[in-house]
Amino acid sequence: MRRLHLTRRHALAAGLSLAAALALGSPAHADGFPDRQITMVVPFAAGGSTDVVARIVAQKMSDDLGQQVIVQNVAGAGGNLGADNVARAEPDGYTILMGTVATHALNPLILKSTPYDAEKDFAPISLLVVVPNVLIVNPELPVKTVAELVALLKAEPGKYSYASSGNGTPLHLSGELFKSMAGVEMEHIPYKGSGPALNDVIGNQVPIMFDNLPSSSGHIKTGTLRGLAVTTKERAPSFPEMPTVGESVPGYETYTWNALFAPAGTPPEVVARLNVAAGKALADPAVAERMTEFSATVVGSTPEELAAHVKAEIAKWTPVVRDAKIQLD
Amino acid sequence: MELFSNLALGFATAASPENLLFCLIGVLLGTLIGVLPGIGATATIAMLLPITFQLEPVSSLIMLAGIYYGAQYGGSTTAILINMPGESSSAVTAIDGYQMARKGRAGAALSIAALGSFFAGTVSTFLVALFAIPLTAIALKFGAAEYFSLMIVGLVSSVALAHGSVVKALAMVALGLLLGLVGTDIYTGTPRFTLGIREYADGLNFVAVAVGVFGIAEILRNLEGEKTRSVLVHKVSGLWPTREDFRRMAAPVLRGTAIGSALGILPGGGAILAAFASYTVEKRVSDKPEEFGHGAIAGVAGPESANNAGAQTSFIPLLTLGIPANPVMALMVGAMIIQGIVPGPNVASEQPALFWGIIASMWIGNLMLVVLNLPLIGLWVKLLTIPYYVLFPIIMAFCSIGVYSVNSNVYDLYAVAFFGFAGYLLVKLRCEPAPLLLGFVLGPLLEENLRRAMILSRGDPTTFITRPISATLLLIALAVLVVVFLPSVRAKREEVFQEED
Repeated sequence: MRRLHLTRRHALAAGLSLAAALALGSPAHADGFPDRQITMVVPFAAGGSTDVVARIVAQKMSDDLGQQVIVQNVAGAGGNLGADNVARAEPDGYTILMGTVATHALNPLILKSTPYDAEKDFAPISLLVVVPNVLIVNPELPVKTVAELVALLKAEPGKYSYASSGNGTPLHLSGELFKSMAGVEMEHIPYKGSGPALNDVIGNQVPIMFDNLPSSSGHIKTGTLRGLAVTTKERAPSFPEMPTVGESVPGYETYTWNALFAPAGTPPEVVARLNVAAGKALADPAVAERMTEFSATVVGSTPEELAAHVKAEIAKWTPVVRDAKIQLD
Repeated sequence: MELFSNLALGFATAASPENLLFCLIGVLLGTLIGVLPGIGATATIAMLLPITFQLEPVSSLIMLAGIYYGAQYGGSTTAILINMPGESSSAVTAIDGYQMARKGRAGAALSIAALGSFFAGTVSTFLVALFAIPLTAIALKFGAAEYFSLMIVGLVSSVALAHGSVVKALAMVALGLLLGLVGTDIYTGTPRFTLGIREYADGLNFVAVAVGVFGIAEILRNLEGEKTRSVLVHKVSGLWPTREDFRRMAAPVLRGTAIGSALGILPGGGAILAAFASYTVEKRVSDKPEEFGHGAIAGVAGPESANNAGAQTSFIPLLTLGIPANPVMALMVGAMIIQGIVPGPNVASEQPALFWGIIASMWIGNLMLVVLNLPLIGLWVKLLTIPYYVLFPIIMAFCSIGVYSVNSNVYDLYAVAFFGFAGYLLVKLRCEPAPLLLGFVLGPLLEENLRRAMILSRGDPTTFITRPISATLLLIALAVLVVVFLPSVRAKREEVFQEED
C-alpha cells in the first residue's frame, strides 16, 4: 500500500517540478551539457518491454536536450552486462542506464557475486514507469479466480507447473512469492524469454504463467489466455475488471519498474538536467498515451526518491529470495 | 470469398505509392546489409526502430519486413561469392554456392538462388494468407517433447551433410554440440564453459562462429598462395543458368519450399534449420550425391528456397499470436508496440488493413527483389575481379563491424578470430564446418527441450513415445538411421566417396 501511494506522490512531484521547470526555465543549469550525443544503455535485447520504454523516452529526451539520445542494447547475464558497463563508464552523464527491478534489486540478491553495487555505483536520475505483472492460465484449466487456482493447487500438490521468462527473473520471483504466500506447490519451468513461455501456455504445454501485462494483454482481451489477476496493489487501469492477486492473497505485490541511472560520481547538475529531460518526456501526452496502451503507468521521480525506491525494493525482495532459496552463480 | 476480399484489401493497402516506396526502401536496405557480411537484419532493424516512430504503422512494418527478407536474398550473395555467409541462414548456401563460384559459375549460382528464393517467397506468402490460422494451431501442438524429437531427426540426418568421413562428421557435430553448451544453464543459472568471462554468459554468437569458420578460414586459405588467390578472377563465364540448370533446380526448389514453409512456423531458428534440412534431403535423394560440396546446383537451389520460405512463414506466429519466432520478429513486436498496436490474436480482426497489407507487401517485396537482383548479378560477379589483396581487408572490416553491431560485445570479435583459426585448422584436417554449425544450433535446443520435457513429465522418459507427434518424429529418425546403415545403401555410399577421393 505504502509503496504505490509513494509512487503516486512521485508522479505528482514530477508534475510539479515540471510545471516549475516550464515556468522558470531549466532550474539546474549544467554549463554546456549536453554538447554531444548521449548513449542510453538498455541491458536487454531490442524489442522487449524495457527496450520499448527506452526508445519512447529517449526520443522525447532528445527533443528537450537538443542532442540525440541513442539507445544501445547491451544484453547479457540477465541485464548485468549492460548495467556493469554503465557503472564503469565515465561519470559525465553521456552514458546512462535504463535500469530495472532486475538490475537494481533482484540480480544483486540472487547472484553470488554481482560485478557492481546497485546503490553505491550509480547516481539515480529518475524513476520512469511501473509495469504490472499478471497471473495467466490456459483457458482449459478449470479455474476462473485466484482462489480457485489456490484450491486446485492445494487439492493436487505437485501436479501443475508454471512458466516464466527465465531463472531469477522478476516473473520467476513473482511465482515463487505467490507459492510461499499462498502456500501452494507448482514446478517452475524457465524459458529463454517471455515469448517462448507464452507460446507454451497458449498451447497448454504448461498451464500457468506469470508474465508482464503488456506482453500478454492482447491474449487476455481475445480470450486465448485467461487473466486471473494483476500483481500490483491496485487494479490496472487498462484492465479495471481484473482483480489483483492481493485481493485473494493479502499483502501480495510485485511489479516491474524502469528507471534511469548514471554512473556514481556524475555531477549533480548534470543529473538534475537529465532528470528534467526525463520528466518532460514523461509529461508529454503522446508518451503517456503510448505507455497506457502498453499497460505501463507513468511515474517519474526526483533522484532522491529513486535512491529511496531502490533501497526499499532491495529490502522487500531480500526475504523472498532468501525463503525461496534462489541462489545463482 | 472472404480470402479474396481480404487479399484485395491487402494489395490495395500495400500498393499505395507510399507503401510501395517503403517496401522498396526496405528491400534495398535489406539486400545491402545482407550483402555486407556479418551485418544482420537484427542490428539494422534495431537501429531503424526510432525512425519508424514517425511513420504510419503499416508503412513502418512493411519496411521492416522488407529489410528482413531482403537480407535473406542479399545474404546468399556473399555466401556464394566469397564464402562469407552474410546471414546465418545462408551458411548452407556457402557450401555448394562458393564451389560453383570457384568453377566460374558464380552468375548461375546467384541466378538460381534469386529465382529459387522468389518462387519460395511467392508460395509461402500465399501459404501465410491461406493457412496462417490453422498452421498456428499445429505449431502450438509442439511442446518440449516434440521439439526434442524434431532435433533428434535433425541431428541424425546431419551426418548426410558431410561429404567425407562419417566419423569426422560425427566428431564435428559433437564439437558443435559442446560449443553450443557455452553459456548460462537456463534451469540452474550456472555459467558453463564461459572461462569466467561474463560476456559469454549468453553463449557464443552464431554469426561470430559462422563468419569465423566459413569466412575467415577461407580468407586464410586463400592467402596461402598466389595460385588459389587469383583463381576466381579468371574463370567467370556464363551469368545465366543453362536450360540443363533450370531442369535440375526445379525439384529441389519445390522440396526446399515445402521444408522451409513447414519449419519456418516453429519458433527458434526455423529458417536456419530449414536450410540445413533441405540440404540433407537434396543430398539424400540426389542421383549424384558425389556432386554435393563440389558445386551441386541442388545444394544451392534447395537451401535457398528453404530459407526464404522459412523467413516468410516465420511471420505466422507473429501475425496470428503476436509471438516472435526469432530476434527479428521480436523487434517487429517492439515496432508494433511503439506504434500503439498490441500484438496478439486480435491484430487480424482489429487491423485487417495492417494484417493483410503486410502479407500482400511480402509478395510485392519478393517481386521487387528478383527484379532488383537479377540485373545486379553482373555487377556482383565483377566484384570478384577486384584484386584479393584489396578485397580481403574490406571483407574483414565489414565482418568486424557487422558482428560487433549485433550485441556491442567485443568478445564476439575475439570469437570470430578464434573460430577463424579453428576453421582454418579444420580445413587442413579435412573436416567440414557445416555439421559443426548444425550441432551448434541444435545442441542448446536439444538440451533445453529434453530437460523441459523431463521436468514436465516429472522424470518419466516415456513422455517421448506416448505423445503421438513426438513418437512419429522419433520413428522418422530411426528410419533415417536404418537407411544410412542399410548394407546396400552403405555400399553405395562408400562407392560414392571413393570416387571423390
